[in-house]
Amino acid sequence: MTTPHDLMADIGDILLDERQIQARIVELGAQISADYAGRRLTLVSVLKGSLPFMADLMRAISLPVRIDLMEVSSYGGATTESSGLVRILKDLSTTIEGEEVLICEDIIDTGLTLNYLVRYLGGKKPASLRICTLLDKPARRLVEIPVDYTGFTIPDQFVVGYGLDYNELYRNLRFVGVLRPEVYTTPE
Amino acid sequence: MTAAASPRAVGTPAVPGTLAVPAARDASGRAWPVFAHASEAEMARILDFYAVRWEYEPKTFPILWNLEGAVVESFSPDFYLPELDLYLEMTTLKQRLVRKKNRKLRRLRELYPAIRIKLFYARDFRAMMLKYGRLALADSLSGTLGQISPDRSPKALGGVLAEVLVAPDTLPSLSGQRRRRVRRATSPHPDMLAAAHGARTGGGRHRFDPAGGPAVNEEERGDR
Repeated sequence: MTTPHDLMADIGDILLDERQIQARIVELGAQISADYAGRRLTLVSVLKGSLPFMADLMRAISLPVRIDLMEVSSYGGATTESSGLVRILKDLSTTIEGEEVLICEDIIDTGLTLNYLVRYLGGKKPASLRICTLLDKPARRLVEIPVDYTGFTIPDQFVVGYGLDYNELYRNLRFVGVLRPEVYTTPE
Repeated sequence: MTAAASPRAVGTPAVPGTLAVPAARDASGRAWPVFAHASEAEMARILDFYAVRWEYEPKTFPILWNLEGAVVESFSPDFYLPELDLYLEMTTLKQRLVRKKNRKLRRLRELYPAIRIKLFYARDFRAMMLKYGRLALADSLSGTLGQISPDRSPKALGGVLAEVLVAPDTLPSLSGQRRRRVRRATSPHPDMLAAAHGARTGGGRHRFDPAGGPAVNEEERGDR
């Protein structure tokens, strides 16, 4: 059975510790609050990785905030072979037409998922649609998407923690760490 | 090819030492191109999955001419993503072996500065596969392991050489003294660039010299 100690042993370096993450989120919250002053904001979290980020970010924003959740299938996942197309596993539960919408992402690398989401949500005619990501990995970018709020730009390493997973583990770590390569290169 | 749906993986029988790539049709009945490398087929599936339109090798860009003005080296990016106006070139070679590809890419950017192109290295592909839980697949497709040869051999393509980029009689033999006369064209004739922009060849057909001589673009696949 995997224990928290085992998870820690799989981390090579701590890229961003809890203090750094929380401090940056407070800054982002203040900036977003200023930018949307006098307006109501809808935060859309893309499950599952961005859940901790949105939970902390929403509490750092001093505006009336609505939240909603979306989940889309990932390439290579269990649903890939059935249709070959990305699927909305969980759609918004409220309308965003005419709303100020801010997508909360945990990480942007290729931009493929986000590109899809922007087109999908854009079709719902929000008043505005912006993007906030905790982590940006521009070295991996395939689809260039303007990102309005970035927590940290990180190097080209495979990171886990604070919502980010590998095989659905490590999401509950309070920091963002670099996964040791032997974890994903060693046959199970 | 506009990709609206992923094809079913009803691959062609594998030749020993190669991997089968689907020579199939997608849900709408469109023919699935024959990819030069299995990693390209995987990338096409990923782009399809995320509803990103793509075209496979839609254009060939001459990047080197001889003194007679004939194209002696060209570059055909693997994918063009029309909605993003972006060319995508993939390589699954190890990083230390991509020097030739990098050189060609630099040359392409010098000659065609308006072109947006991204080189997707082996490490990028591997990272993408890791993200999608398909790392083992990435490892199995690296370098020559993922090459697809059956449908792209000169013999198989012999009937379509009429679409070769440069007229066969203009191709240099590139032997001996003539090879030494080949130079880098610092400012190609405008007609050449226009021809390049207008050139639309598919499936790497331009690569093979109908006379059986050196390929126009032989190193492009040789370094994969």
